[in-house]
This record gives sequence, structure tokens and C-alpha cells, in this order.
Amino acid sequence: MAANFWISSHFKQLLDPEEVDVVHPLDKEKGISLEDFKLIKMHMTNYICKLAQHVKVRQRVVATAVSYMRRVYTKKSMSEYDPRIVAPTCLYLASKAEESTVQARLLSFYIKKLYSDEKYRYEIKEILEMEMKILEALNYYLVIYHPYRALSQLLPDTGINDISMTQLVWGLVNDTYKTDLILMHPPHLIALACIYIATVYRDKDITAWFEELRVDMNVVKNISMEILDFYEGHRLITEERINAAFSKLALKTLNG
Amino acid sequence: MGDGNAVNNRGGATNSSNSEKPEWLQQYNLIGKIGEGTYGLVFLAKTKSPANRGKSIAIKKFKQSKDGDGVSPTAIREIMLLREISHENVVKLVNVHINHADMSLYLAFDYAEHDLYEIIRHHRDKVNNMINQYTVKSLLWQLLNGLNYLHSNWIVHRDLKPSNILVMGEGDEHGVVKIADFGLARIYQAPLKPLSDNGVVVTIWYRAPELLLGGKHYTSAVDMWAVGCIFAELLTLKPLFQGAEAKSTPNPFQLDQLDKIFKVLGHPTLEKWPTLASLPHWAQDIQHIQAHKYDNAGLHTAVPLSPKSAPFDLLSKMLEYDPRKRITAAQALEHEYFRLEPLPGRNALVPSQPGEKVINYPTRPVDTNTDFEGTTSLQPPPPMQSGNSGGMAGPHGVNRSAPRPMHMGMQRMQPQGMAAYNLSSQAGMGGMNPGIPMPRGVPHQQQNLRRKEPSGMGTGYPPQQKSRR
Repeated sequence: MAANFWISSHFKQLLDPEEVDVVHPLDKEKGISLEDFKLIKMHMTNYICKLAQHVKVRQRVVATAVSYMRRVYTKKSMSEYDPRIVAPTCLYLASKAEESTVQARLLSFYIKKLYSDEKYRYEIKEILEMEMKILEALNYYLVIYHPYRALSQLLPDTGINDISMTQLVWGLVNDTYKTDLILMHPPHLIALACIYIATVYRDKDITAWFEELRVDMNVVKNISMEILDFYEGHRLITEERINAAFSKLALKTLNG
Repeated sequence: MGDGNAVNNRGGATNSSNSEKPEWLQQYNLIGKIGEGTYGLVFLAKTKSPANRGKSIAIKKFKQSKDGDGVSPTAIREIMLLREISHENVVKLVNVHINHADMSLYLAFDYAEHDLYEIIRHHRDKVNNMINQYTVKSLLWQLLNGLNYLHSNWIVHRDLKPSNILVMGEGDEHGVVKIADFGLARIYQAPLKPLSDNGVVVTIWYRAPELLLGGKHYTSAVDMWAVGCIFAELLTLKPLFQGAEAKSTPNPFQLDQLDKIFKVLGHPTLEKWPTLASLPHWAQDIQHIQAHKYDNAGLHTAVPLSPKSAPFDLLSKMLEYDPRKRITAAQALEHEYFRLEPLPGRNALVPSQPGEKVINYPTRPVDTNTDFEGTTSLQPPPPMQSGNSGGMAGPHGVNRSAPRPMHMGMQRMQPQGMAAYNLSSQAGMGGMNPGIPMPRGVPHQQQNLRRKEPSGMGTGYPPQQKSRR
């Protein structure tokens, strides 16, 4: 499993964009659009990153936590699974899965420190209850493959792995978690897309290197386009838009 | 384990009188408790669904950890690994359930009636005779086969011992070995923390010398050392290196265990084991470790094998001091020992010769007085109650004797009189799963970048042994 992505549960669970970009009916009822949905997930990704810095866990734990959160929302509604508890709980679960367990009370402490907003305040007990619900929602599949390992093997091979290049590519990979790419594409292709963008950006031509890889460059280019789209859209994101999305989520529906 | 359809299968709830139990639990008839440890309890149950009626299942119940930290990392590790792997010689996780009411987690496994601990004990205490060579060889081959699969997938088990090696009872998979208990198993590529950091104490008798000397990095070689110890134990019916465990500090130096090893295998030397010098206890405890003189008694004094025989050669390669020179599971499977008669077979428990007596290994004791909550009823169970009420003491629930303590937690409970022996045991788990064929040999380090189909190299038994079955 750890050795071979192609036989992993991660590979078997890869989804098509049409399957990921679906707003749950319960959320739709509250007026949550696809844009809102993506915005909230991106905001919660940032939240997980911030929390992770305080509880001092590595990027891989963050990446796993974000992947869990995104996978949960391919199955569950935000109305029933409040992102503000799901996100920290995913970090909590990922810390166990990635062998760097963080105590729930430490997490709870930093949540309170980071957000004065009551809506973010959840008790330890609620985190523990949500942990079990997330395990269920993930159908107990916890192993996630990330682009980082492929990156550390591929980048030196390109021959342009100077420090600034390395930093650029790693930064790009980190940013891919603000999208749902990890749910849709094999991690090494995400790594290649980041390398591709970085080389184009830096005016380095490594077409020959890519050709030798015998990977489907169309897929790599499609992933690259999605990443560029993300950066394009990212500039338009404001606090107000995020707040607006969250206030829709807070609406009570007639049935609820 | 495929697409996970089996998990969370809430079907099969047909018995309306069971309505107070959680829905998923109604799939099963609880027979009784078969073990316990610090993590929780293990139960034997039978499935009710028409397709698999009466199939035995071992259900491991994890309690919410007491330190207020949710699902125990042990349970997370076990689920995480078992959800990905699938091999005939590895225990099969068939279901996971959560009871939100009391925050407990249940893992359901195919049940295995026997384990090597019990088989060895039965021969030593009851049969008064060695385990026959066909059985030893078949058990060892299957153990190596399962281990080779794990190691090819970069999983190191870390806690191999006889009670963790299960053997299926009568049925389709009679005599098939299942490696169980992945609570300590780890993926050993790029660990975020040194593997020794979680402070879990496991049985020392099967612990590799590099770990005893303070080495921090678990590699697949530690599992091979344990297999060597188990191999010897199958041959002699007693643990090969039975050291007295030091328990003073959380991770004490196990001098006596090293002493037991050195007495048999002699002193390790820098010549044969160059990285020895970097191991903390070797460097620090000069008086006890380096300066102490050992006569090299030799492995042949500890096992009833000729030093020139194939099994002796294999055993000595498993008990090689230098972990980098120690034989790998893949290499061991190719060893001459497995090409000599009697050839290993799938049913390790069948008699080796047509006329030979079949050994009836005892079945696992079941405590029928305990329910899923772990509550023991003070009254004796109602006689032959059919499984239609809360008692769930089904007709199969013959109360043979008290259950053996389970090892799976961090401490073993040791009943009186047997304290010197590793009395722990393990709930049965196993299953029939042909598994994904894994390439033998060197594990692939890369996620297959140039998309390859999983290699078709078989996990099958050597062709010549088909006559055995």
C-alpha cells in the first residue's frame, strides 16, 4: 500500500470533477452555490494551516487533514457537518494517522486563541464525537498519498532544482490543497503540473524531460490550468464573500 | 479490501427482539468473550445474514482512551493499514463499526480458531511430542509469505510473536496462517518521528538485537529476527531467548535478554556487524555488554538441527546479528529448506503421512458470561438459551473455561503458574482473500510513475507442492 499508489484505496477513490463539484441538497436549500462551497473549503484549508502552525505539525499532516476534509464534503453536507468543527477534527485525526498525535485539548486551546468568534468554539468532547463521525464518513480509508514524495524524486531529475526553484514548486504544491485536486488526480501528476507551471514561469524549457516521462501531458496541462485558474480566482476572494457564504450556511431552512 | 462495500453494511437486522441493540450489532449472535487487554475486549460472534449464516467473526472492541484523546492511535493504525492490505496470510478486516452512544469502536475480523502460541503449548503440555516437520515448514512458509507481502508494501509489523500468528480452524481455509494484530505496525518509509518514540512496550523475547542495543530505527529486519525466534520455538516448543524483562523505566535497557542471545550466538563483533559501534547501549554500557565474555555456544546447541542441514542454515540467516545482512522474507521463501521434502502446503495442520495421527488442537476458550459492554453477569448463563434475547448466549457458546488474556494492549496479564511463559494470546482473525499479487523482492520505492499495472508475480505456493493438498 505504502509502496504502490495504483493499488491503494486513494487511487480507487479518485473522483471526476463532476463528482466533486456537487453541492449537497441540504446546503443547496440554504442557497449555497458551487462558488460558496469552494470558498468555504478554501477558507477551512487556511484554517487548518493556521492551526497546524500553532500545534507544530508538518505539512504532510496538514495535507492529509485537508484531504480528509475535502473527502468528507463529497459525501456529507456542511449543514450537518459544520466546517468549523470538521476542519480542526480532520487535523486531529490526520495527526494520529501521520504519527504525530496532537492532543485534543491543545487543539481546543489554539482554536479559542485564534478565533474569538463563538461559532468556531467547540468543546473537546465535540471534537472527539466528530472524530468518529469523520472516520465513518471516510469509510475508514485513511491513507492519503501526496505530491511531496514524487516531487522530491522528480525535481532533482529535471536538473533545475536550485533553491528558488524548489521553493517555488513546493509553494505551488502547498497551494494545490486549496483546491480539490488531491481528490481527482494521482499525486505525482499534481507534482508534475507544479513543476510544469514553475518552469514556464521561470522560462525554463524542459519539454524534452517531460517527453521522456511517458506521462499523459494533456492531463498534466489540465491540472496546470486548474491551478492557474485557482490563482486567477484567488485575487477576487474577499473576507466579505467568505462571510456571506458562511451566513447562508447559518440560515435555518423550513425543515431544519 | 476493495471497495469497502462490506464496511458499514447495516443489513441483516432481522430479529426484532434485538431492537435495543445498535443496528449493526444485530447482524451478529454474540457467543462470548475470547480475550481482553488494555485497549478493550475481543468477542466471538456468528453472523446471522443468510449468505454467511453461522460464520465465525472475532470482534475487537476498542474503548475510548482514558486520557480523553478520542480513538486510540493504535486503533487508527490498525484500521488504516488493514483497510489497504489484502493477502491470504494476513488477517482480514471484514467490518468496522462505531457506537456513538459510548464512543466505542469495533473491528470485525474473520475468526481463526488457533494460533501458534496455543499450538506450541498444546504440543509441549498435552501431546508431549514435537510438531511434525511438514507442519513447521508450512507454518513458516506461510508466515514468510504474509510477511513478504507486508514488507513489499513497506509495512513493518514490529510485534510478531506466536500469539499474533493465527491459524484457521476447520473450513475452507483450514490450516492457513494469518498474521494478525497490526496495532503496532507502521509504514516505515519516511516516518515523521523515530519509530521508537511512541514508547510502546512489546514482548522482549522476539526483539531484535539492534533494538535491544538502543537502535531507533525499525526496519523489516526486526520482523525477520522475530520469525527466526518463532521458527526455533516451533522446533523446540520453548522460547529461544527467554530473557527476564526489566520494567524499571518506560523503555529500560533489556540486559538479560541480550545476555540470553549472546550466550547462544556468541558476542557480536564489529567485524561482522560494523554499525554496532553506533548503537547507544553498545557504546555506553561497556562493562556489561562489550567487556563481558561469552563462550560461543553456537545455535546448534539450542535447536535439534544438524549445523549442515537446510533448516539450520535458514534459521542462522534469520538470526544474523547485522540487520543489513539478515535474510529478507523474499530471500527466505527461496531458501533450499522449502524445496526439500516434505514440501510446504496450504493446510499446515494436515498430517504429513497418510497414516499419521491428526492432532486435534483445542479450540479457543469462550467466556459466555460477558456481553458486548464487557459486563460480566454474576449468575450462570441460562441453560441453552437460544440467541433471541439480550443474553445472546447462543447454542455454540459452550463455556469451556476462562478466556485467556489478550496481549494486544500494552501489558499482558499473566495468570499464576505460567508466568515464565508468554501467556498472551490473540483473538482469531483471518479470512479468505486471494489478495492482490505483490511483487516479491525489493519493494518499489517510487509510486509507479510510468504507470504500470501491479506486477503479476504470484503469491502462490511453489508449484511442486500441489501434491500436498
